[in-house]
Amino acid sequence: MTLSAAPPKSLDDLTLGGDMSLEDLVSRDGLAEVIKSANELFGLPIRVFTEDGKLLADAADSIELYAYLNTSRAGRAALSEVVAAVKALAPGPDGEAHYTCVTGASYRVAAIVYDSRQIGRMILGPFLPDPNAEPPASLLGLDAQLDVENLRGLYRKLPRGDEQTVTNVARHLARVLDLLLFSGHRALLTSNMHLASVRESFRELEDKNQKLQVAYDRLKELDRLKSNFLATVSHELRTPLTSIIGYSEMLVEGLAGDLTKEQREFVQTIRDKGDQLLALIKGLLDLSKLESGTMSLRKNQVDVAVLVKDVVSTMAPTARKKEVELTFEVEKGLPLIWADAERLRQVLLNLTENAIKFTPVSGTVRLIAKITGMDATSGGDSGGMVLLGARRTGVEMRVVDSGIGIPESERSRVFDAFYQVDSSSTREAGGTGLGLSIVKRLVDGHDGSVRIEANQPRGSVFVVTIPVKRATIG
Amino acid sequence: MQLDFVNRELTVKLVYYGPALSGKTTNLQALHKAAEPGASGRLMTLETRDDRTLFFDLLPLTFRNQGSLAVRLKVFTVPGQVIHASTRRLVVQGADGIAFIADSRTVETQHNAESFIDLKENLKQHGLTLKQMPVVIQFNKRDLPEVRSDAEIAELASQGREPVYLAVAMRGQGVVESFVGLLHLTWSALDAEHDLNKKFGFDSEAFLATVAKKLGDARPLPEILGACVGGALDVLKPEAG
Repeated sequence: MTLSAAPPKSLDDLTLGGDMSLEDLVSRDGLAEVIKSANELFGLPIRVFTEDGKLLADAADSIELYAYLNTSRAGRAALSEVVAAVKALAPGPDGEAHYTCVTGASYRVAAIVYDSRQIGRMILGPFLPDPNAEPPASLLGLDAQLDVENLRGLYRKLPRGDEQTVTNVARHLARVLDLLLFSGHRALLTSNMHLASVRESFRELEDKNQKLQVAYDRLKELDRLKSNFLATVSHELRTPLTSIIGYSEMLVEGLAGDLTKEQREFVQTIRDKGDQLLALIKGLLDLSKLESGTMSLRKNQVDVAVLVKDVVSTMAPTARKKEVELTFEVEKGLPLIWADAERLRQVLLNLTENAIKFTPVSGTVRLIAKITGMDATSGGDSGGMVLLGARRTGVEMRVVDSGIGIPESERSRVFDAFYQVDSSSTREAGGTGLGLSIVKRLVDGHDGSVRIEANQPRGSVFVVTIPVKRATIG
Repeated sequence: MQLDFVNRELTVKLVYYGPALSGKTTNLQALHKAAEPGASGRLMTLETRDDRTLFFDLLPLTFRNQGSLAVRLKVFTVPGQVIHASTRRLVVQGADGIAFIADSRTVETQHNAESFIDLKENLKQHGLTLKQMPVVIQFNKRDLPEVRSDAEIAELASQGREPVYLAVAMRGQGVVESFVGLLHLTWSALDAEHDLNKKFGFDSEAFLATVAKKLGDARPLPEILGACVGGALDVLKPEAG
C-alpha cells in the first residue's frame, strides 16, 4: 500500500468528500490485480487513470501491430494522435465514451465514480468489435514503407470483443471498483477515526494531568510549609525545655538547698519526663530536617563491627531490665562502609530499642552484620542476577527479635511518619511513631535500604543495608 | 456545511445522536432502505463485533433539485456507549443539524437525559449552544411495552422548543418524518445564515418534497411536517452577534 506523505485528512475531508482521490482510496497493487484478472478473463487491455490523467494500473500486453506502426514516422504520428484522443475522451452522462482509432480498433472509456463524483477513468481497448473485420484503408494506406501483408497479419492478432461484452466487462469492473473504493474509504475512515480518538483522549488526559500537577504542586508546597512549621515549633519548644531540665537538675543536686526524699522523687520525675520530651522534640527536629533535606550527614569510613558492639553495650542495661537476651554476630573481615557513624548508630539504637520493646520476657534480640550484594537484596532472583548480582557490595545489619512481629500488609507503612501498627488508644507499647520514619530517611540518606522480614517462628527482622563504596550518582 | 461554488454543490452534515441502543443506526438503515436507488449511496457502518457502532454510521444521500444546486446530505450516527465520549465529540463537530433519538421506555428516561446533557456538553466544547443548533427529538420504540405515554410526551413537547417525533424505527415508522423535519429545520437555519434560496434560486419547499418523495413519502409537505408533536418548525433565527 502506498502511503502519501500528505498530512492526514480531517474527518470532514474524509466524510464530506472534499477532494477524495482514487489513490487515497485503493491500493495500487490491489487495483492492478483486479484489472489483470479481468484482462486474463476477457482478453481486453485495461488501464486505469486518475482524474488528473495519471496512469494508476495497467493490464495490457504490448500490441504487436502498434510496435510495428511505431517503426514508421507516419505510424508513430498516428499512434500518438490516438493516445492523445483517448486520453482526452470524457465519459458522457451515461459514464461511457467510445473512440475508433486509425487502425479500426475501438477504445471504451468508462468513468470511475465514487460518492457521486468522478474520480478516475478506466480505458478498455484497443479491441476489434467485429470478429471478421478486415484492416481498414486508413491503416493499410498509412505509410508506403509499411508492409501491407505484415499489417494484415498483425491486425488479425488484435484483441477482439463485441460491444456488448465490453460494456458488460466495463460495468462489472465499475462495480468491483466501487466495492474496492468503498472498502478503502471505510478502512481509511476507521484508521483516521482511531487516530483522531486517540489524539482526543490524549488531549483529555493531558488536561487532567495538568490539573493533577497543579494540585500536586500545591500539596507539596503545603507539605513543605508543614515541615517548616514542625522545625520552628520543635526548635522553640526545645529552648524552654532546656531550662526546665537544667533547673530541675540543679534542684536534684541540692544547689538550692536540701530536698526531702519525696521532693527529690518528684523533681527527678520532672527531670526524667523532661528528658523524654527532649528526645521526642529532637526526633521531630531530625525528621523535619531530613524531610526538608537540611540535615547534613558527615560521612566517613566506618567500622560496622565497632558500631554494633557499641550499640549492644549501650542497650545491654535496657535488655537486662526487660529480661531479654541481647547478642551479636559480626562476620569477620567486614569492609569499612561510607557513612555518618553517629547517624548510623542512631539507626541501630532505634531498631534495637524497638526490638527489645516488642520482645517479651526471656526472648532474644540479635544483631547480625555481614557482607552482601546490594541489588540481590531486593527480593531474591528477579532476573538478571548474573549481570546485576555483584554490581555493588554492601554491609547488611540485621536486628532480629522474637517479638510480636509485623503483619506483611503493614510492613511498607511502618516507615511512614507517625504510623503505628496498633494505633488504638489502649496500645501496650509507647512511642511516637517517629523512630522508624527517621530510620528510613537516615538510611535513604546513606543510599542504602531498609526492609522488614519475618523471623521464624515469631518476631521480625529489620534489615539495613549500606553500600561499601560511595554512590557515584546522587 | 461545505459549499463548492465550482461544482455548485452543497454538503450538509446531519448527526443522529442519542443514548446507546436507542435506534440511531436503525434509523439510518430505515432511511437507506426507503431511499430510491440513485438517491442514496452505500450505508457505511463501522461497528464492533457485538454490532454496536464503533465510530459512526455514514449514509450519503444526494439530491439534485430543479435548480442547479446539488445537495449532498451526509447522515451520521454517533456511538452511544458512554466510553466513546471523545469519538462523539469528533463526529458532532461541524454538524448542521441533530436528530436526537430517545428510547421511549420509562426505564431509559435517565439515559436519555444524560445523553442530551452529553450532547450539550460536546456542542459547548466546539463553541456551540443548543440554541444555535437545529435539533429534532425522536421518541423511538413506541411499540414496546412500558413506554412513556403519548399524552406525557405531547405535554412535555408542547412546552419545549424542539419538534418531537414518535417512531418505530425497526418498522420504518416516523423515520422519514423525523428526517424531513430535521432537514427542514436545518435548511431554514442554513438559509437564514447564508441566504441560499436567493443566491441559488433554490426552492426549499420543493426540495423538501423531492427528498420526501425519494424517501418513499409522497404526501404533501405540510402533512409530513405536521407529524411532529410540540416544538416549533419555524425558521431558527441566527443568534445576534
